[in-house]
Amino acid sequence: MHILYINNDGAGFADQIHVEDGTTVSKLFTQRVPHGRTSDYLIRVNRQPTTSDQVLQPGDRVSFTPVKIEGA
Amino acid sequence: MLFLRDLGHTEVGGFGISAADDLLLIEDVVLVRQQCSVVTVAFEDESVAEFFDRQIDRGLRPEQFGRVWVHTHPGDSALPSSVDEETFARVFGRSDWAVMAIVACGGDTFARLQFPAGPGGSVDLPLAVDYRQPFHGSDHDAWIDEYLTNVQSVPDFLFPESPCLSLPSHGAISSRTYSPLELADWPAW
Repeated sequence: MHILYINNDGAGFADQIHVEDGTTVSKLFTQRVPHGRTSDYLIRVNRQPTTSDQVLQPGDRVSFTPVKIEGA
Repeated sequence: MLFLRDLGHTEVGGFGISAADDLLLIEDVVLVRQQCSVVTVAFEDESVAEFFDRQIDRGLRPEQFGRVWVHTHPGDSALPSSVDEETFARVFGRSDWAVMAIVACGGDTFARLQFPAGPGGSVDLPLAVDYRQPFHGSDHDAWIDEYLTNVQSVPDFLFPESPCLSLPSHGAISSRTYSPLELADWPAW
């Protein structure tokens, strides 16, 4: 199935990707950000906060965006 | 950015929107919801995520809107603080490139381009307004609306007042309407 995946790491990504049926949010994170920590990202599915065990559905929109952007 | 810097007594930050064919040419600065004191600025995570979604819906690429982090400093120094450096490394260190830009209240500016590719590296960049570029004109009302919608002032007990106090307070801005003559006196960019 295909989902829309948004991430700013590397060259940046905002496009359709193919994932296996039954893929969970945590599995996608491990695949796409293998050296990242989930605590460094806000993970949303269809613009809503999600849980790590949520199973992705065809057409879902998944974004990994940075958190704690702070200056002083 | 100068207009936003001078609208209130706190720091303020946003993302630079790059030209599609020249990523170091910043055509706009977009604010997200943020809590700001005289010496700090902190973006709300949900608002950052919404910002990303909106820019994607506009058809922009992540490298056009998620790589240039700009914020202001009180006083005269635009040099990054330890908090700035930590954020720049943690948040933007995984991107192919990113820029941290700082505009100080006193007019000083700072910008650094970092790129982790290969051995990695960074280079300081000069900041300048490119007057050769077309410009749709200042829209003070829209800029004020964007500011008031996104910037929440929070007290800082160590630094209750900014060195830049020559302009109206946040509360004063929201409670009255400014004449075009008054707005014309404010710096615009």
